[in-house]
Amino acid sequence: MIEIKHLSKSYNKGSVKAVDDLNLNVRPGEIFGFLGPNGAGKTTTIKMMVGLLNPDSGTIRLAGFDTAENPLEAKRQTGYVPDNPDVYDRLTGIEYLNFLADVYEVPVKERCERISQLLDMFDLTDAVGDLIKSYSHGMKQKIVLTGALLHNPAVWILDEPMVGLDPKSSHLLKEYMRKHCDEGNTVFFSTHVLEVAEKLCDRIGIIKKGKLIAMGTMEELRHGDQADSLENIFLELTE
Amino acid sequence: MMKKFLSLLKTYCNIYFGISSMKYQYTREKKSLWKPVLTLAGVVVGIGSIIYLYCLMISGIFRGAQAIGHPEIVLTVAFLLCQLLSLIFGIFYIISVFYFSNDMGMLVPLPLRPGEVLGVKFITVLLSEYPVTLSLLLPAFILYGTTAGTGIWYWLKGIVLIVLAPVPPLVIASIFVVLLVRFVNIRRNKDMLMIIGSLLGVFLGLGINFVTQNIPEGNEAEYMEKLARSSTALVKSIGSRFPASIWATLGLSLPGLSGWGYFLLFVGFSLVLLAALWWLGDRFFYKGYLSGQEAKRKGKALSRQSMEKSIGTMSSPVSALFRREWKLFLRTPIYVMNSLVGVIILPFALLMPYLTQQGGLKQAMGYARNSQYGFIAALISLGIILFGSGMNMISCTSISREGRTFWFSRMIPVSPENQVLAKLLQSSVLSSVYLIVIAIPLAVLLHISPGRLLAIVILGTLVNILMNILGLIIDLLHPKLEWNDPQEAIKQNLNVMFSMLLSWLVIALFAVSAIALIQYGIPEAWIYLILGLLALLLIAPGLYGLFALARHRYRALEA
Ligand SMILES: Nc1ncnc2c1ncn2[C@@H]1O[C@H](COP(=O)(O)OP(=O)(O)OP(=O)(O)O)[C@@H](O)[C@H]1O
Ligand SMILES: [Mg+2]
Repeated sequence: MIEIKHLSKSYNKGSVKAVDDLNLNVRPGEIFGFLGPNGAGKTTTIKMMVGLLNPDSGTIRLAGFDTAENPLEAKRQTGYVPDNPDVYDRLTGIEYLNFLADVYEVPVKERCERISQLLDMFDLTDAVGDLIKSYSHGMKQKIVLTGALLHNPAVWILDEPMVGLDPKSSHLLKEYMRKHCDEGNTVFFSTHVLEVAEKLCDRIGIIKKGKLIAMGTMEELRHGDQADSLENIFLELTE
Repeated sequence: MMKKFLSLLKTYCNIYFGISSMKYQYTREKKSLWKPVLTLAGVVVGIGSIIYLYCLMISGIFRGAQAIGHPEIVLTVAFLLCQLLSLIFGIFYIISVFYFSNDMGMLVPLPLRPGEVLGVKFITVLLSEYPVTLSLLLPAFILYGTTAGTGIWYWLKGIVLIVLAPVPPLVIASIFVVLLVRFVNIRRNKDMLMIIGSLLGVFLGLGINFVTQNIPEGNEAEYMEKLARSSTALVKSIGSRFPASIWATLGLSLPGLSGWGYFLLFVGFSLVLLAALWWLGDRFFYKGYLSGQEAKRKGKALSRQSMEKSIGTMSSPVSALFRREWKLFLRTPIYVMNSLVGVIILPFALLMPYLTQQGGLKQAMGYARNSQYGFIAALISLGIILFGSGMNMISCTSISREGRTFWFSRMIPVSPENQVLAKLLQSSVLSSVYLIVIAIPLAVLLHISPGRLLAIVILGTLVNILMNILGLIIDLLHPKLEWNDPQEAIKQNLNVMFSMLLSWLVIALFAVSAIALIQYGIPEAWIYLILGLLALLLIAPGLYGLFALARHRYRALEA
């Protein structure tokens, strides 16, 4: 579902190499956790995947579509939640959702069902008639999540999605991610919460200074040492 | 305490004027320099030509004032202009810098007195006023100083007065704003403040226009005498609260002790005002800020029905984008005020001299209604209307206005062509509404026939589309996406000036073509047709260029 080949990106005309020859593959039905220290290049990678940044070199394929050759089709297959979303705060929640539904061309019946289901899940039904301006941080995060999942995309790309969510919403989101993948789709998310990654992810990638330094299932990362926690592995690797 | 204040001031100016970020861009990111250089050149040409016109006006006033034996009137006019403009524009800056900037969330928790924060913000506003102040005051100051035989003290006092000139109006505007926010209940709607500020500015502008235009024609000396009298009258009519420009003038032009008296009066006045602002700031600034923090919330669930109604219809991406543009535009009062008020005021301001001279108006109306000149009247009306739509900032800020939400535009699966198309449609609908709203009353007033009205509305719409395409191209080339408060996207956006200059060129092109066609004795209907075809001929490559540029720029502008 996600195929990244030789992806590189540097800022400031090459003086900061944010992503350095990154290769990875995420299969259908997989939840992939993307870990790494601050400034490792996670957000940069994710922004290139969703088309917010242009790669210096390399290719990205999402659900079979090359993001450079067929950007619109690749975008239709993805739902993206940024780490710190700036949204249209002068639209109401429902107007925002409806705008996205139109832009992703979601049929009326499906949009009604999905909107009410997601709003119920995130407990947003009461707030959806208000301007987004009046939302709390977590509410903004949830309305952006709702908007991103509205068109039922095959690939979810989430940048630190749990930050700012209350325990219940975060729990529901994790369940929802699992369910989505069990239906043969893919979730790619970055996080700093290692317990979440350990429990939820089928595979984990660790990036440091733009280079992928480890990738695999928990088992593979442990190298057979059953007692080792992800925390220890992470600290050792990113030393 | 002074050290803390200075360090805050330094940091704040650094952020406000983007000094570090500029250094970063050109040293670390190694952005190419041709763009800022080109922009600067454009600004120099654009502003330079305005300043040149102003200098011509000032030297005209000076000659007139000399003729009636009061050359110092030129100083009064300059000071008055400078102070009134500072007041009008100051209100916007002050509202946005004092209450709408994002930094307040960071500044309030710091161990600083409200007066200090207010002081720093005030100085930032003051500094950003100086370019205007200098361009308004220096010509008059130098002209008077070099011709009226003055001494060294004139120049020294003058420097002090020029530095202090914008202080009284800005302090007065600040005090007004601080008290307004503190005592008028605007809790519910922060935008109210912007509307009040804008209206105040508009009324002031209109008032000035009325007073200065309300001068019967006559010989030059008489005219200047009237102007001198009317500017004194203006000062008086605004109230004895605002005689600072007279003091400045007398302080500079009177010899000896009385000159020093007025000079010190002005300086003292400014200092007293500053102290008053400081005092008020300590008491009211944070209280007002904190009470204005709420956004409206209904807090009631949408009923299933109303929700289904609002999501129950599907529309195409372009129409969804089109509606988003409208909603964001209409819900940001500062955008509406700026596009509509400026645009509606302009024709009246242009017509004011005629409207206020009864004889002149009758004569002009007489000509226009004369069937012989009906065609010319229709074309001139169209020219005035287009001049007004050229000042409309909707198309040339439509990328800039997206600001930090621009990432949506890169993320959504809608082609750049369709995205700019939605923007072009929105701005063109707006200019057409404006065109019709102005053209119909004008047609009634000038007895323009329905056929002609239809012709100029169609022609005007085409030219509007062309101007909007150019505006969008300008904004795509150089959008201002970094802003915190919506008003920065339009008021501190050079694209507005560039697009205005470009639209004047377009109007000039059509005016010249129209004149040429009339001279060749082409029949009226053919002239409309040819001008319309000319517009279409320019729209086609314009659209092609716009779309090509959009494809390129939507990729290049990384979010
Ligand atoms: N706009 C930018 N301009 C210049 N450098 C940038 C920019 N954005 C990120 N960087 C640099 O790129 C590198 C990777 O940043 P990135 O935001 O991808 O890290 P991250 O892994 O998401 O970190 P975090 O865990 O803190 O979110 C860092 O060295 C950062 O300084
Ligand atoms: Mg990040």
